Amino acid sequence: MLKPHLTRDSAEQYILGALAPEKAAALEAHTLECEPCAVLLQEEALLSEQLTEAASTFPREERVVRPLVWHARRAGTGAAIAALAAAASLTLVLLTGDKATHPSVPDTLDVRPPTVALELDEVDSPTKSNVVACPDLATQDFCTRKAAERGLLVMNPWGTAEVPRYEARTGLPEGALSARQPVSL
Amino acid sequence: MEASRGVDEESLSRKALAGDRSAWDALVARHHRRVVVSLLARGVRVDRAHELAQETWARLIQQQQRGLLTELRLPNLALTQAAFLAADDARRVRRESISGAVEELPERQHPVDPAVSAERRLLSEEQLSRAHAALAQVSPSARSVFLLACDGQELPHAEVAAKVGLSVQRVRQILCEVRKKLRTALEEETHA
Repeated sequence: MLKPHLTRDSAEQYILGALAPEKAAALEAHTLECEPCAVLLQEEALLSEQLTEAASTFPREERVVRPLVWHARRAGTGAAIAALAAAASLTLVLLTGDKATHPSVPDTLDVRPPTVALELDEVDSPTKSNVVACPDLATQDFCTRKAAERGLLVMNPWGTAEVPRYEARTGLPEGALSARQPVSL
Repeated sequence: MEASRGVDEESLSRKALAGDRSAWDALVARHHRRVVVSLLARGVRVDRAHELAQETWARLIQQQQRGLLTELRLPNLALTQAAFLAADDARRVRRESISGAVEELPERQHPVDPAVSAERRLLSEEQLSRAHAALAQVSPSARSVFLLACDGQELPHAEVAAKVGLSVQRVRQILCEVRKKLRTALEEETHA
C-alpha cells in the first residue's frame, strides 16, 4: 500500500470538509483499501455526529456573546455618568459657595440626579427593569425573538431599544427577568 | 444570524417543495456532506456512503414530484432517508450473502446492524452534560464559532467566518481545537 495512512488530523479535516478535492479523493480511495484507516474515518464521523448533537442541545441561553463594542459602550456610559456626577458636584460646590454669606438658610438643591436610562413611554413602565442585551450580531435575531416572546425589552449595541410584543391581557409573561442591569438571554 | 438563515432555509424549502430545481440544488449543496458523514458514522464504506447520499436526494426529489412531501425539514428528513437506505442496503447484502456465511465477506462489507449503530451514535445524558460542561469552558468566541458551525444547520465555514469576522482558516482551526477538547471529554467519560 503506497498511499500514506490517515492521521487523525487528516480524517478530521476531511470530515470538516476542509480538504482539497484531490486530497479528499485520495483519502477516500485509501480508506477503501485500508481497514484501520476506514475505522479511523468512521470514528471521526461518529464524533462529528455526537458533537452536532451536543451543539444542538447546548443551552441556547448561553449563546449570547458580548463583543468588544458592547463593553466599549458600557465603558462609555460609565464615563458619561462619572462626568455628569462631577458636573453636579461642581454645581453644588458653586451654589453653596455663592450662599456662603447666608449660612443660616438651609439650601435645597433642585437638581435632578444624573441618570442614563432608556427612554420609555409611561405605558411601558412595568417593563423598565426588564432589559436584555443582544450585542452579538450572530445571535441577535434569535436573541430579539426570544426576548420578545418573554416580554423583555431589547438593547442593541447601538443603544436603540425595541418594544417587543406585550400581551396586556396576560401581563408580563412568567419567567420574565427582573434585572436592573442588562442580562444575557 | 440564525433567524435570517432560518428564513433562508424556509424559503428554499418552500421553493423546493414547489419543484424549484435551483432550490433543490442549493439545499443539496448545503446538506450533502452531513448526509455522507452520518452514513460514515454508521459504518458505511465511503464509496457506498456517497452513492447512498445521492440516492437519498433522488428519493426526496421523486417524492416531491409525486406530491408526497408535505414539508421539507432538512437535514433531518435527508438523514432519516439515508439511514433507511443504509439499513435497506444492509438487508440486501445479507440476502445476497445467503449462500455463504456473512463472516466470509470482507469486514468492511459486513452488513451494519442499524440498532447497534443507533445505540453507538446516541450520546448518553451523562456524556451530553460532560460535553456541555467542556463546551462551557472554552472561550465565548470559540464556543460561538463552534455552535454556529456545528448546530446541525450546516452553515458553511465561509459564512461562519463572515459572521464572526474571522478568516475561514481560523474558523477551522477553532473548530479543530474545540473538537479536540470535546473528544477528550467524551473519551474520559467512556473510559471511566
